[in-house]
Amino acid sequence: MMASNNPAAIQTRGLSKRYRRVTALSEATITVPEGRISALIGENGAGKTTLLRLLAGLARPTGGEVAVLGSPLSQDPAFLADIGFLAQEIPLYRRLSAEDHIGVGAHLNSRWNGAAVRQRLESLGIPLDQRVGTLSGGQRAQLALALTLAKRPRLLLLDEPVAALDPLARRQFLAHLAEAVADGGLTVVLSSHLVADLERTCDHLILLAASRVELCGDIDTLLAEHQLLVGPRKDTTAIERDHTLVQAVRTARQTTLLIRRNGPVVDPAFEAADVGLEELVLGYMGQHAGPAPAHLTTIGEDQ
Amino acid sequence: MTWLVWRQYRNQAYFAAAALAAFAVLLLITGRQMTSQYHSALSLCSASHNCGNLANTVTLGTPLLSLLVTLTVAVPCVLGIFWGGPLVAREFEAGTNQFAWTQSISRRHWLTAKAGWALLAAAAWGGIVSALVTWWSSPVNALEHQNFQPAQFDIQGIVPVGYAVFAVALGVAVGTLLRRALPAMAITLVVFTFVRLVVGQDFRSRYLTAVTETFGFLQRAGHRPAVPTGSYWLVSKGLVGPHGLVPTSQPNGGGISVGVRGFPSINLTNMPSACQALVFRNPRGVFPCLTAHGYRGLFITYQPADRYWAFQGIETGIFVLLAAALIAVTAIVVLRRDA
Repeated sequence: MMASNNPAAIQTRGLSKRYRRVTALSEATITVPEGRISALIGENGAGKTTLLRLLAGLARPTGGEVAVLGSPLSQDPAFLADIGFLAQEIPLYRRLSAEDHIGVGAHLNSRWNGAAVRQRLESLGIPLDQRVGTLSGGQRAQLALALTLAKRPRLLLLDEPVAALDPLARRQFLAHLAEAVADGGLTVVLSSHLVADLERTCDHLILLAASRVELCGDIDTLLAEHQLLVGPRKDTTAIERDHTLVQAVRTARQTTLLIRRNGPVVDPAFEAADVGLEELVLGYMGQHAGPAPAHLTTIGEDQ
Repeated sequence: MTWLVWRQYRNQAYFAAAALAAFAVLLLITGRQMTSQYHSALSLCSASHNCGNLANTVTLGTPLLSLLVTLTVAVPCVLGIFWGGPLVAREFEAGTNQFAWTQSISRRHWLTAKAGWALLAAAAWGGIVSALVTWWSSPVNALEHQNFQPAQFDIQGIVPVGYAVFAVALGVAVGTLLRRALPAMAITLVVFTFVRLVVGQDFRSRYLTAVTETFGFLQRAGHRPAVPTGSYWLVSKGLVGPHGLVPTSQPNGGGISVGVRGFPSINLTNMPSACQALVFRNPRGVFPCLTAHGYRGLFITYQPADRYWAFQGIETGIFVLLAAALIAVTAIVVLRRDA
């Protein structure tokens, strides 16, 4: 467990979720300290949604331990009051208006800031009295996000929250989120398969690949631990022995290695470079998919 | 939660209330006419001391109206299909259960409010429709003494409340298990109809042991069996054979009808072939023939009219218990399964 003076918002050990034949999440051990904005990154089907649903209490784990804000998962109102969850498909009552949803929230939550939702929707020009089913996808996403925040949760779990938003709205929303976290008392985990969206806002990373946790930690620390080595095509056994090789890309003339360092790299033939978040993420993802260059192209097109 | 339930379903509630109000107005107007028609016919026949076949001389209401009232037998099923089936299933389909289940309320609270109001509404609608139909039918009942007939029993008294509660609970449970509204609605229709038919046809007559009344072929004075009166339910009738009761087969074919004063007539069938052969050649020889073959008399088996409310209560209880079991299953699934 974490030291008590720095309590973790999320602490899991060996957390697993199996459906009949499929393992959706395998032995996930993660820690997210309070007050962080954590980027939950992974390809589609890597287990992001499963992890978020487990943490929100919507799905039951089939193995492992979880503590969310210091307590085990439960369906208690007291537990649920501290958690804000927004599912990827942005489920809202299509026949009810935004104003109705604000009313629902007021009736179902002990602390509720309906005025903030109205203010936010008015500033975005989203009608309050219109049926939600008639709003655009982006407007529905904004409403759902505002409703989730109005609950004043201590832990916010957002599954692909910016997917439905245009680039400007994405940036505004993430800035809004950062402000809320800066005000204190809020921890955020938001999933995405797009690194670029999250790099600016997030200070913590959970990287999932093939239903396993590949990386979990402070982004700055993780970046400092990794290094990109570029050098001639040569034998890299010595480097692989001293450090943990994440990914190697070998062309006819050049070798590019992504390593997790154990101490300094001394081979003078290689030029060491710092790693960016995107390179780090793609490096780990590339381990599980076919040849790395091809994979990079697909990710690029996805944007 | 009640607030959310009302917001979600108020349009349905308004619609159902409007339909119910229209139905009530129709029955109140025609019911008053029928009552006065019945009373004037009764006073007319009393004056001439000839009320014996009043049922054959007076026609109450119109065929269309009677058909409409008979069709209220479908009300519980319709409530089950349209209120019960989608109640939880639609939430799963739209994912809105994820919204509701991450507000600061427990799933138990959520289900209690949703299912509770739906069941209460079903009981209210079933009860109001039934109360109207029961009141409207009172002159018909007084005239025809058919209260135990399924066409009357199933739409009057308190059983429609039990049916409606069961139908909605069934819809909710099936919808929760399937998580799809349309299949849940279809299955609700099929299962509800099946259960109603099985209970009505195979179980209802056994709720209480029927009264059996036997009488010999040749009635002697002072040896009269008790005559059932009012809206009793004739369960079976036939011959008292050498090895027990021999009910007549339905429909009657080729027998002779035996009438004992005050009793329903009994068509003699399933007789020994020797006696059957006498039916047309020598009808007077039938009874002696039966006696010679060890037959001792005639019988009727019936449920007395005063058991009507006991039967209503037992049947309502059965359906309410079934509904409770279905709601328990729903609760377990909602509390245990993933969103």
